[in-house]
Amino acid sequence: MRTTVPVAIAFVSGIIMLVSFFFRTEDNVFGDASQQLLIWSSIIGGFSFLLGAISIVRVNWRNVRLKKSGWGYNLLTVLAVFAMLVPALIKKGWLPESMAHLAGRDAGSIYDWIFIYVATPMSQTMFAVLAFYIASAAYRAFRARSAEATLLLITASLVMLWRVPMGEALLNSIHPGLPGWINTYVMSGINLSVQRGILLGAALGAASFSLRILLGIERTYMGRG
Amino acid sequence: MSFWDRISRLDRRWIYLLVWLTVITPLFLPATFPISVTPEARQLYDAVQALPDSCVVLLTFDTYPNALAETEPMARAALHHLFRKHIRVVTLTTIPLGGPSIAERVTRELAATYRKTYGVDFVNLGYKPNYVSVLKGLGTSIESIYPTDNSGTPLAQLPLMQNVKSYSDMKFIFVVTDNGIIDYWISIVNAQFKIPVGAGVTAVMAPKQYAYVGSGQMTGLLGGMKGAAEYEELVDKHALATRGMGIQSLIHILLIVLIGIGNLAYFMGRRKRGAA
Repeated sequence: MRTTVPVAIAFVSGIIMLVSFFFRTEDNVFGDASQQLLIWSSIIGGFSFLLGAISIVRVNWRNVRLKKSGWGYNLLTVLAVFAMLVPALIKKGWLPESMAHLAGRDAGSIYDWIFIYVATPMSQTMFAVLAFYIASAAYRAFRARSAEATLLLITASLVMLWRVPMGEALLNSIHPGLPGWINTYVMSGINLSVQRGILLGAALGAASFSLRILLGIERTYMGRG
Repeated sequence: MSFWDRISRLDRRWIYLLVWLTVITPLFLPATFPISVTPEARQLYDAVQALPDSCVVLLTFDTYPNALAETEPMARAALHHLFRKHIRVVTLTTIPLGGPSIAERVTRELAATYRKTYGVDFVNLGYKPNYVSVLKGLGTSIESIYPTDNSGTPLAQLPLMQNVKSYSDMKFIFVVTDNGIIDYWISIVNAQFKIPVGAGVTAVMAPKQYAYVGSGQMTGLLGGMKGAAEYEELVDKHALATRGMGIQSLIHILLIVLIGIGNLAYFMGRRKRGAA
């Protein structure tokens, strides 16, 4: 029962979505059913965020209570969750008129302020640090050790030059047709064909995996093999 | 230890220092460079340019804050183009972390410049979970997926949304993204609802998108900050991306020089060890 019911739900839902994808079903029962399923799916997605929030608070708060190594970071995580969550959930009507703009998620709210002045700079800083690591890693590891590595190195260098105005000017000075040649033959030629092959392979894999789920062969999503 | 061995084992802090100097130098010595436009960016611009005035375009802000340096200039340049043509804009996001805030901030700022009115000329639908369902559901009924806009106003109260019920009421989708959601805009929305999709993506994602451009499933592409600078050039609004080209140019050249020195040291060191 615990296996049969979820497999049946997955099969029926999958078939409805499949039919609605391939046939025009706007005005019939399949269209209505598929739209309802999509709405349910979005609502279930919302609940998964709630579960995630509860889970992150529980796990981190346990570490704080037990004073585990690095519990200060766990405390910061819990505080950060509530700092973003509480102001966003407060309704404007709950506050005096002069403070109403601080509630909710609109521009000028506490949530928006934290997002713009705390979350955004922090995540951009983390991302920007990659530039230092990439430069160091490229210096140490990007070696022309084999014919394939040499080809990759030359191609990468050409594309890196082509993607910036100063590099493009340099390529132009070597041969005026070189930037156009890189776009036509490297990006829209070799790159395109390889990317298309990867996409087709991934799509076929996804299709076969989906079919296995629909037919009840693939059951790992239920936590069992 | 020989000279080339020392170069080969250069302390990484020297490299970090070089990167830092390369990044900050153009901030004090700004220089502008001519921006050449790729055929993919031109295709996107031409597609938007060919849209009838006052039609409706969906602009997505599917971007996390860490990639804003690349994606925000694209969205700004796109909004300049759309608002200038008096095209009405519906925005949404599939990213919970700040997506609605980014869309709200950028769109309202540009709308004020062009004296556009919220609810009439543009609407921000905000975020709804489970992007696959959202993308597919919008094709049948926007209101069933987004009963309200980002601020909680029912769509029935927004004049713009009276005539915009699904993708069929839109002429174009301009996706600005830093993640794999673009695959779904192509495979679900373009494939099933036949609405043209153009995209601005981060530089690291751009090579993959050439497959969609080549097959005609994607109408134009902006790749990274250079792509954003190309669109700024096309709409004649040189801003963040164009200014960033100086830093990006120097960093790319520094990387190539570092790779060259690293390889030279590697081969010289190997030759010396071979001779010994």
